[in-house]
Amino acid sequence: MTARGVRWAVTAAVLAVVAAGCGAVPSAAPEIGGRSAVVPAPAGVVELTAPPSTAPGADASCDATASFRPDGPLPEPGRMPAGTTMARIRDKGRLVVGVDQNTYLMGFRNPFSGELEGFDVDMAREVARAIFGDPTRVQFKVLTSEERMPALEQGQVDVVVRTMTMNCERWQRVSFSTVYYQAGQRVLVPSSSDVTGIDALAGRKVCATKGSSSLANVANAPGKPIPVAVPNWTDCLVLLQQGQVDAISTDNTILAGFAAQDPYTKVVGAVFTAEPYGMAFPKQDQDFVRFANALLERLRADGTWAALHRRWLGDPPPPPVATYRD
Amino acid sequence: MLVEDLRNRGAVRRVTGLARSTPGRLTALALGLIAATLLVGALTVASVRDRSDAVVAVADRGEPLAHAAQEVYRAMADADATAASAFLSGGVESPGLRQRYEADVARAAAALSTASEVTRSPELVGPLATLSGQLPVYTGLVETARTHNRQGNPVGAAYLREASNLMRSALLPAAHDLYRVQTANVVRDLADAGSPPWPEGLLGAGLLAALVLAQRYLTRRTNRVFNVGLLAATAAVVVSLLWVLVASLVVVAHTSSGEDDAVLADVVAQARIAALKARGDEMLTLVARGNGGIYESAYKEASAELRGLVGSAPPLARAGVELDRWRDAHTAVREADDRGDFTQAVERALGAGAAAAAFDAVDANLTDALAQARSGLADRIARARGALTGAVPVVVLLALVAAVASTAGLWQRLKEYR
Repeated sequence: MTARGVRWAVTAAVLAVVAAGCGAVPSAAPEIGGRSAVVPAPAGVVELTAPPSTAPGADASCDATASFRPDGPLPEPGRMPAGTTMARIRDKGRLVVGVDQNTYLMGFRNPFSGELEGFDVDMAREVARAIFGDPTRVQFKVLTSEERMPALEQGQVDVVVRTMTMNCERWQRVSFSTVYYQAGQRVLVPSSSDVTGIDALAGRKVCATKGSSSLANVANAPGKPIPVAVPNWTDCLVLLQQGQVDAISTDNTILAGFAAQDPYTKVVGAVFTAEPYGMAFPKQDQDFVRFANALLERLRADGTWAALHRRWLGDPPPPPVATYRD
Repeated sequence: MLVEDLRNRGAVRRVTGLARSTPGRLTALALGLIAATLLVGALTVASVRDRSDAVVAVADRGEPLAHAAQEVYRAMADADATAASAFLSGGVESPGLRQRYEADVARAAAALSTASEVTRSPELVGPLATLSGQLPVYTGLVETARTHNRQGNPVGAAYLREASNLMRSALLPAAHDLYRVQTANVVRDLADAGSPPWPEGLLGAGLLAALVLAQRYLTRRTNRVFNVGLLAATAAVVVSLLWVLVASLVVVAHTSSGEDDAVLADVVAQARIAALKARGDEMLTLVARGNGGIYESAYKEASAELRGLVGSAPPLARAGVELDRWRDAHTAVREADDRGDFTQAVERALGAGAAAAAFDAVDANLTDALAQARSGLADRIARARGALTGAVPVVVLLALVAAVASTAGLWQRLKEYR
């Protein structure tokens, strides 16, 4: 080998060694993920971008609280006039009632006993007592806010007693009894919040259930809050406790139930809507509505209404006054 | 320049001349045989290695992982169904249900860590991250639900629904993905291990043909019928080829019946999961209290799937009998609930001798069947692994023997030309 050959060989060898030292092969191990937590949510939670259907408050085409006048005194329990809806229910052997199991104090499942309890549930039992003479002849069917109207229209239930606001839009499709409870919408926030009412919630998330008048009221509030819709009222409390919404807005009765379950919340602001609750019946069952109104007259007069109010909702105000459309 | 040219030309002539002479040809033949023997030996070793790697992959990774994935799925689905039962039973849940839930969570976490430890599939990074990330969130929600239940707050039920939603929308689908991928890996590795031994056979046959041709060449050139060295080499190659073929065919036989066991295990595992789903839906129908139409139709779907799976596998005949019992119990539960007697419906769903017992019997049957299918598969794989033990050293040794023997045989002839 010549001297030149040797030089070339040495140069090549040095270059090879340098190249070997320079090579960089990055690690193929994956990055550790999980930089942002995935927050769990109740099933069926929706953030609304547009108001739900029509605004019930705006529809003043009727007197929503006026119901059908009772035709005479209540019949004896168990002796319903032949051919009436009540006689059909008596023959069936049980009253099918649409209620809630998620609204503390109104209609809820007692976790200790597993039984359904509350003001609405007791009202339903009074109807059963009037038909059968036995308040336990009830089959409860739990309904979400959204399912109340379809359940009545399809005849799945005989009556709905479930914090249901009477309004003209609903009167088109179902019949209501006279008012058995006068509620009004307010706002519930965490006790550390500086929110003072519905108008202070501009651009913030406010929870209500799908198909409720509360949701429509939130969507139509002048402050333009962001409505978040869930299937059940307790889902709202979960979202509030997990910091996923800033407030819950609905009837003061329901909010009182939340405040009773969570001492770190407060109800703020004035009552900004009137929410008269009525028992809802299939539209054609006018005889049953008149029967229920006769029953309500009696419950108001004999102190039963006041006793039920005291049991669930505290010291009773005077019972709501019945108005009729004949 | 010129001198160098001449020198080169002389070298070329010497080489070609050597190649044309008989001793040159014998040398070339010897070199060719050595190369062919060693090459065939090496290729055969590689092929046996591949097969053995596939068997080891099934035994040590694929099958245990598929089982771990199935356990993750089962434990999580069971935890969800148990949490719903505990809620339904009213009051503070019974110690039995609580223990079952805790055992499920512990089992799911342990199986998940096994599955994460050995897995190498990049497509599983997502599901594994979901599972290990969301399982603590799930248990947190269940504990919050319990706390509220103990205080009599109805919001506890909402936390339980949120937990169940997380389980059904995120955790169970991820567990299902994990299970599907791992099961597919098992089937693929079994198919790899059970491929017919064509390459080994063709290589061995080619080498044998070369040895026979070499023998015939020698016979013509030297007038001697047999060459001891080449005979010995041929014998070594024949033994090696037979060894490899027999071992491979044993593996093929075991893996093909192993595939049947794997398919059965898959059917049973799916049936188990369908049973759990149906049980969870049965419970949630009652929890929803007259509003459980979607759960009842989900129950019907899951139980139809379960019935189909159980009917498709003869070893599950006994589970089929228990399944009939469960169906009758479920009908009784629905009858009571639809009649409006909720208390009796819950009693029929949870009480002794009712739907709970029928479900437990179905689950126990499926658990036994799964254990049997798994041990059948494990046995097949162990036998397949055993058949390949020693094949590699034997092939290497016999290839060396054949190379040495054929060289020695030709060397004897070459010596005669000195």
